Amino acid sequence: MSKRPLAPWLLILPSFALALFIVSYPFFNIVWQSVHEVSRFGQVRDFSGVANFATIFADPVFMTTLWRTLVWTVCVVGGTVLVAVPASLILVQDFYGRGLARTITMLPWSISLTMTAIIWRWAFNDEFGLINLGLQQLGIINQPLHWLADPALAFPLEIMIGILVSVPFTVTIFLGGLSSVPTDIYEAARMEGANAWQQFRKLTLPLLRPFINIAIVLNVIYVFNSFPIIWVMTQGGPDNGTHILVTYLYELAFRLGRPGEAAAVSLVMLLMLLAFTGLYMRMQRGEHAE
Amino acid sequence: MPSKNKSKLKRSILCWLALSPLVIVILLPFAVMLLTAIKPADEVLSYPPRWLPSRIAWENFFVMWEETQFGTALKNSIVISTLSTVLAVGISIPAAYAMARFRFAGQAGYRRFLLVTQMLSPILLVLGLFRLAAAIPYGDGNLVDTHIGVIATYTALNTAFAVWMLQSYFATIPHDMEEAAWLEGCSKPRAVLKVFLPLAMPAMVVTGIFTFINAWNEFAVIYTLIRSAENKTVTVQIVDLVAGRYTVNWHHVMAAALLATLPVAVLFSWLQKYLVKGLSLGAVK
Repeated sequence: MSKRPLAPWLLILPSFALALFIVSYPFFNIVWQSVHEVSRFGQVRDFSGVANFATIFADPVFMTTLWRTLVWTVCVVGGTVLVAVPASLILVQDFYGRGLARTITMLPWSISLTMTAIIWRWAFNDEFGLINLGLQQLGIINQPLHWLADPALAFPLEIMIGILVSVPFTVTIFLGGLSSVPTDIYEAARMEGANAWQQFRKLTLPLLRPFINIAIVLNVIYVFNSFPIIWVMTQGGPDNGTHILVTYLYELAFRLGRPGEAAAVSLVMLLMLLAFTGLYMRMQRGEHAE
Repeated sequence: MPSKNKSKLKRSILCWLALSPLVIVILLPFAVMLLTAIKPADEVLSYPPRWLPSRIAWENFFVMWEETQFGTALKNSIVISTLSTVLAVGISIPAAYAMARFRFAGQAGYRRFLLVTQMLSPILLVLGLFRLAAAIPYGDGNLVDTHIGVIATYTALNTAFAVWMLQSYFATIPHDMEEAAWLEGCSKPRAVLKVFLPLAMPAMVVTGIFTFINAWNEFAVIYTLIRSAENKTVTVQIVDLVAGRYTVNWHHVMAAALLATLPVAVLFSWLQKYLVKGLSLGAVK
């Protein structure tokens, strides 16, 4: 290791400077807008203190959207881990066609969320969609369902698609974790008569634990901020029934002409993310201390 | 050993069976996309729908290409993704080298900074990014509706990912090769150039390709910053074919989606095994 302290600083400088600029200007701009009255064309007028925040917290759409965002994040991240753990345990087995199976599992990652959402929107089309056709042919439904016209159907659907597109990234992290597990400990466990479930509980799960943790943290950040699925499939509608905070933020800023309130929503979201990561880091430190 | 083969066969059937629900749900949208893209126009919107087209309607692709200015959008996608990839990898190589080879004050702080840039996702910042682009004068106006604004944003936002990936690969390149070069009188920067970078080439290519795919697939930033049709990328162009239209030409939408996703999907499938190594190491360490 080199002792010169300046060299590494010079090496990280370009990336640091650019990222700092691109991230900090918008950040401070949003803080600035959030405490001012902003016209629909973006002109910043008088200082308004917490008025924008008061407005959004008095806005019933914002409050239900806030709640729905928590449901969205917990369901998508939880569902993703529940699918990805068994999937990666299977994908490390030695079986015919494993390479193909891994490639298929990774496929949703390769196409943009936007394209995925467009395809699903078409697949769930009431009249001409192939999902309604398939379900009718299988005898599961009698007549076409209006999937995207009813938030009670559309939102769970969006959660399912959210899970589907998060699985590849999560499996990737788990496969990395599982590949670092020494195989001889399983043989030792088998010799001592441990069955498959015991091996999973006592060996695999603890070893996978740090990887599950990192997958949960990164997925919470990504899913909480995930815009295209809901925007493309339902635009937060019908009747604001499928909005999450990011889609509502976008609508406030660029459709409804309320940029001050949108800036306030941005900051509330940021605080939620910071609170989450802070809490997570505390929990981690607690675990290390044990 | 026939019994061993037989047990592997049995295991294979069980594994595929267990994976089958997931495999079906993953492949279904691809099937829908393909089947719609090659369906003749009158069969796409005929009730009741049918799974298979009566013939393969190749004309969908040609008509779509003309009607949606797909060529322009494709060129825009390629330019924006390529430039932001070259820039992002270019500034991430020195940073990743510093992270992998040095121990310095502020190293942990820089790592945390990268994590924060990931948390401040484009969509949270989108309002401010728009104001930033509007504040920078360029030509007759400002950076709104220009490719430069988008490229700079992509470069900055892809840095964290590129540094993580590169760093985890750089750490696996043995240090002694560079040290041997120093002993032979090679200066340190020269040793990096002549010995280290050639060894790191595969890592840089792989990281570059994934950065390219990220840029290719991005939506929120470009949807906000780009206004005029001739500057739009494939992704935004396709969304415009669907959003706010009274009648949607779904066979054109799916033909365009197929052209936009197929090359990237093939590239990605070919390279996905490198992600397992790079991301899991970089993320956990």
